[in-house]
Amino acid sequence: MSSIFRGNFALFLKIAILAGITAILSLLAQSAFASSQIAIGTYLVIAVVVLNFTYFTKVSIPLKFFAPGILFFIAFVIAPIIFTVIMSTYNYQTGNYISKDAAIEQVLIRGVEPDASQTTFDLVSGRSADGSYAVLVSDIANQKFFISTENELTYVETGQLTFNEYGVAITAPGFSVTSVDELATNDAYSKIRYKYSDGYYIIIEAQGVGAVFRQSIAYDAKTDTMKNIQTGQIYVDNKRGNFALEDSPETMLTPGWRAPIWFENYTKLVTDSRVRTPLIKVFIWTIIFATLTVLSTFAFGLLLALALNRKMRGRRIYRSILILPYAMPSIMSILIWAGMFDSEFGAINNLLHTHIAWFSSATFARAAVLLVNLWLGFPYFYLICSGSLQAIPSELLEAAAIDGANPRQVFRRITLPLLLQILSPLLIASFAFNFNNFNLIYLLTGGGPRNTLDGEVAGATDILISYTYQIAFGRNILDFGLASAISVLIFFLVASISFYGLRKSKVMETFG
Amino acid sequence: MNKWLRENLWRHAFAVFMCIFALFPLYLIVLSSFNPGGSLQLTSFVPRVLSMENYKMLFSSPKIPFLSWVKNSLIISSAVALSSVVIGAASAFAFSRLKFKGKKFGIQLLLLVQMFPAILALSAVYVIMERVYSFAPSIGLGSQGGLILVYLGGSMGVNIWLLKGFVDSIPAELDEAAKIDGASPVQTYWLIFIPLATPVLAVVCLLSFIGTFNEFIVARLFLVEMSGRTVAVGLQQFIGGQYATNWGAFAAGSILASIPIVIIFLSLQRYIVNGLTAGSVKG
Repeated sequence: MSSIFRGNFALFLKIAILAGITAILSLLAQSAFASSQIAIGTYLVIAVVVLNFTYFTKVSIPLKFFAPGILFFIAFVIAPIIFTVIMSTYNYQTGNYISKDAAIEQVLIRGVEPDASQTTFDLVSGRSADGSYAVLVSDIANQKFFISTENELTYVETGQLTFNEYGVAITAPGFSVTSVDELATNDAYSKIRYKYSDGYYIIIEAQGVGAVFRQSIAYDAKTDTMKNIQTGQIYVDNKRGNFALEDSPETMLTPGWRAPIWFENYTKLVTDSRVRTPLIKVFIWTIIFATLTVLSTFAFGLLLALALNRKMRGRRIYRSILILPYAMPSIMSILIWAGMFDSEFGAINNLLHTHIAWFSSATFARAAVLLVNLWLGFPYFYLICSGSLQAIPSELLEAAAIDGANPRQVFRRITLPLLLQILSPLLIASFAFNFNNFNLIYLLTGGGPRNTLDGEVAGATDILISYTYQIAFGRNILDFGLASAISVLIFFLVASISFYGLRKSKVMETFG
Repeated sequence: MNKWLRENLWRHAFAVFMCIFALFPLYLIVLSSFNPGGSLQLTSFVPRVLSMENYKMLFSSPKIPFLSWVKNSLIISSAVALSSVVIGAASAFAFSRLKFKGKKFGIQLLLLVQMFPAILALSAVYVIMERVYSFAPSIGLGSQGGLILVYLGGSMGVNIWLLKGFVDSIPAELDEAAKIDGASPVQTYWLIFIPLATPVLAVVCLLSFIGTFNEFIVARLFLVEMSGRTVAVGLQQFIGGQYATNWGAFAAGSILASIPIVIIFLSLQRYIVNGLTAGSVKG
């Protein structure tokens, strides 16, 4: 066996694998740099260097074990966390999503205006004689026909053209028509500005239709300003990711770019009532939800464990049935419950002979969420509690009984305190888990009911994490900046809960 | 008899009540899967018709690429489970058995990062993978390759931590003996540790498989194409989207998709419960 790890074959294998990985990562790094993803490219280069150093030198033996793990860990765990913190200081949202260079490019593309009479032409896309992108334009009103490329405009005699039934020229000598299929896949045709006349050019508006435009916005790199060519208005960088007029800062050019706004996302959480009010509402419900879930699942789990904590008929059958909710993939169970709560066709209303629109009322929706989470969670505490009950030394209980305590007293004075002591880290862990129980809320109620007409982002059953998701992805506007700020806030909340739990368990280890 | 009743009746009554509570949704879903109608309606507790229509629909309807969903889930979950255990086990071994500078810092970092729920960094992962897409579409946003990378990388913290707990529980005497006999750490790892740890690694691998199989939101954000989806995303979209009333096919699909997971889970029950306890208590 050991020869496998020493011989030439092993060395060959090692070199082959490393060479393969090096090649792939280097290629990726190269294309990352080529599309100016400097951070990702740099990380890939560092990864290549680290891997080769680790496995071809004897720098560090432990590194040979954890280098791949750590590289993944940094890339997909640490980097996103750092990136979240960075994004929380930016106005990273729809409208300010791209880099400044890309935004300038977009502003210039959009900074056009139609000519005075808003002329449009029928046209056909294709290639000119020299192979460049071109359009064959029919100015039917003036009976003029021309082939236009980015730099050139050539009139064509009517006699050389063929027309369709609407009088639109469809072929011309030297002009090759591009098929509809190619037009659909190659958007280069529609991105080009085809030459028209002094300062004006033709933009393809829809397939077969072009309109005459001219540039109205120009960028001055020296002063970093945008200028409206016609009116002479100057737009300056407002330091918040947009070009805006100096004397009327509300007038901005779109799109903007992502720009640092430092702690504004955080101060918004406190000062902006449109953010603060729902946040407080959601926070309170999150605490209530997590607390009630832990209490109810623990209570039912414990009661079951107590009920079945003796030799009795059917115990094994009970146990295997009771564990089923825990064994089912939770996604499926949550979706099944969502269907059962359906107001029209759901089984719950059938069973109760009611017509409750469960997910349209805040109270009913919250009750449903708690009930479903009880179903999902009680088997866990049943399993844990029945294990822990067996771990309590029977001498203790017997001694208490001899001293004349009745079963209820034994439970209240001995069993419960001991259990709580053993299980408190798990209760805290369960609280932390439910604090962030995204799947349940998202799949069961979607956070609702939520009055979207009023622009409400936070629904009645939204917990912090689903609210964050809602801000980031759930609406037409993506707001990664604000969502990241809330993420950072949640992290500190959860971290303090967990540290409290840790300290508890440390205490237990010392005394237990 | 009276005494038996007093002592046991409430136990059985409560247990039966909870069993009904536990079974009700599961029974209902089995019932609906055989019911050709489209809702989770409770018309009677006994099936009137036993129809296989819903099951047939899963495999024949061109609108529901159920088989490719299952295939995608299996590929993604197995790839993640296997590679995360292979990479994670080596790291866990180092953190558990080897001495090196910065080990304490590393362990504390792992512990701290564990508390940051992965979903909180979702927008960051999204943006990063969007950028990866701009130069390598096959491993960026929207690709299964990218999804595997995100799962694999994202599971590193928790997995190394979990595996370290398991490695700690394997007695160190054997690999110390090997060390005295002159084995290098690499030899100790392959010849002593891996054979010893194989059962444990298999369990962690299966747990990771279940976890990935159950993941929803990242897959939902990543996989846009209908036939490229995972089972979880596919079935959710199936009832949430344009087929809003088609619970029958959903029921059949979720039963088929759940059975393997339930079987794995029940056979690993002991480890899962112990693992959860051990992980948190040690945490």
